[in-house]
Amino acid sequence: MQMRPQIQLQAVIKALGDVVLPAIDPDNRLALEQGKLAIGLLTLLAQQLSVQFAFDCDELARLIATSRELANAAQGGAGTQAAVAALDEATLAAGRTLDAARSSPADVEAAVRAMRAATGALVTEVHRDGDAASQAAVQTAVLAMSKQQLLRERSMLLMQGWEPDPKAVPPLADLRAR
Amino acid sequence: MHPDKRQPTAAWIGELRQRFPTEREIDRVLTRKLQRRAGPGFKPLALDTLVDGVRALLDAELSTPYELREARWLSGGASKLQMAFTLEWQHPQDGLSCTAMVLRMEPSESIVETSRKREFQLIRAMAGIVPVPPVYWCDSEGEYLPYPALIYGYVPGVTKPSAAASGVSGLGTQLPAALRKQLAPQFVAHLAKIHTTDFTGRGLDAFEIPAVGSTQCAEWGLNWWERVWEEDSDEDVPLMRLAAAWLRAHLPVLDRAVIVHSDYRLGNFLFTEPDAQISAWLDWELGRIGDRHQDLAWTTSRAFGSLAEDGTTFLTSGLLPEAEFIAGYEQATGLTVNPQTLHWYKVYNAYMMATLTLATGYRAARGGKTHQDVLVTWLIGIGPMLLDEMRSLIEQGS
Repeated sequence: MQMRPQIQLQAVIKALGDVVLPAIDPDNRLALEQGKLAIGLLTLLAQQLSVQFAFDCDELARLIATSRELANAAQGGAGTQAAVAALDEATLAAGRTLDAARSSPADVEAAVRAMRAATGALVTEVHRDGDAASQAAVQTAVLAMSKQQLLRERSMLLMQGWEPDPKAVPPLADLRAR
Repeated sequence: MHPDKRQPTAAWIGELRQRFPTEREIDRVLTRKLQRRAGPGFKPLALDTLVDGVRALLDAELSTPYELREARWLSGGASKLQMAFTLEWQHPQDGLSCTAMVLRMEPSESIVETSRKREFQLIRAMAGIVPVPPVYWCDSEGEYLPYPALIYGYVPGVTKPSAAASGVSGLGTQLPAALRKQLAPQFVAHLAKIHTTDFTGRGLDAFEIPAVGSTQCAEWGLNWWERVWEEDSDEDVPLMRLAAAWLRAHLPVLDRAVIVHSDYRLGNFLFTEPDAQISAWLDWELGRIGDRHQDLAWTTSRAFGSLAEDGTTFLTSGLLPEAEFIAGYEQATGLTVNPQTLHWYKVYNAYMMATLTLATGYRAARGGKTHQDVLVTWLIGIGPMLLDEMRSLIEQGS
């Protein structure tokens, strides 16, 4: 979907910097300082958002590597042995998680975009040189997929208040489970 | 090879112009948009900069002394900057006058890229037919002001009751039943007047007239918005590709060319609260000479309507049920409404609105090109609802 966090953050930062901050009473030092801090934190968030997943995976790999070193190095009584066992268990679980995290959220988003583009191109081409039966079949498939996807997008954006009948749109949690 | 839409090449612009032929003035403003895209984003302007620009325009237009005062920002509208001011001047008809005026200027790139020249001509042409603000001057190329602009007279009134709640751009406004009863007949009557006015000899040389008895009108419109989708979209939407193909396969024939407002809805007219009289129709920027069904389909969009107090009756533009609206219109104009053409224009309008919000809104905000990127970004969120309306319409029409 087009309404993604990056564009929202960029627009909010610009509005705060260009319009809201200059309008704050210069004598209200607290409001000015907090306005600038809010812009600073949002700018940090915008930078962090795209790298946070890779950052966490990188840390997890380092923690796993270090845990093996620690398990070999740590000698002691019952308390130490129990801690080593707990660390081993956590390391195994972490390894499984890291193995499963080979595709990042950015990879998934890129794949969604690529699939949307390729699907769109097929729709255009089949209506250019395809026969009537395949055009009808493509239309049926695209309309069905769009119905499901758009219901989820509308649910995601429900708080904005666009829906004339909001009760007709199920919560996102219910839709994801379907 | 995908084009870099942030830095359009001359070859890509030329290809789009060739693929999607449309009216010359529309082609001109869209081409200008792309040629300027790689340039700087919108920087906040000081009020004095606009005052200086207006003075430069007035110096070129007026041969008698004037005084400009009380300049101030106006809010409202997602697409243009507006400044109110008072002009003391020698009015050509009224003599020495103090006139409240509004400057309406484009940002660097707008959620809807349109021609100030067309907007100026159309408002001027409608004077005396339906309530419109008086228009005075147009800086169509941004010769005097930072960007293209026009100046029109300030008209008293509100777009919604002072106490009413609504979303941005007047969307989602809930009107009390008593007020609806007073406004609805005017709403229908004014549309009937717009559509039955002879547009010849009204100085509309920035408009081209589509051939009656052909599909040219619908094709020009579809080419316009399919071109904008290509120019501005980021994430592709297979449903938009399907809709474009569906629209092209079902182009309706124009039976009568009329002036079309193209954004005729609650939120785009002013009314005076004490007597509930419509005092001005605004936002003519998308207007064209075209098919009356385009306006009829627009006003009945779910995006501009709301439910009545019973929670089930959907009110066209928040004013009256669709069947009543259509029946009243037919009676007032003597023109029939072709359900198939109306249906086509409902799909067309949903396609156009989805293009504006999902594609142009995103592109303008991403480039930091407007004075209110935050509002334009907020409007991206209406896209899925518009797409779903379009999906449902295509299903019904297949």
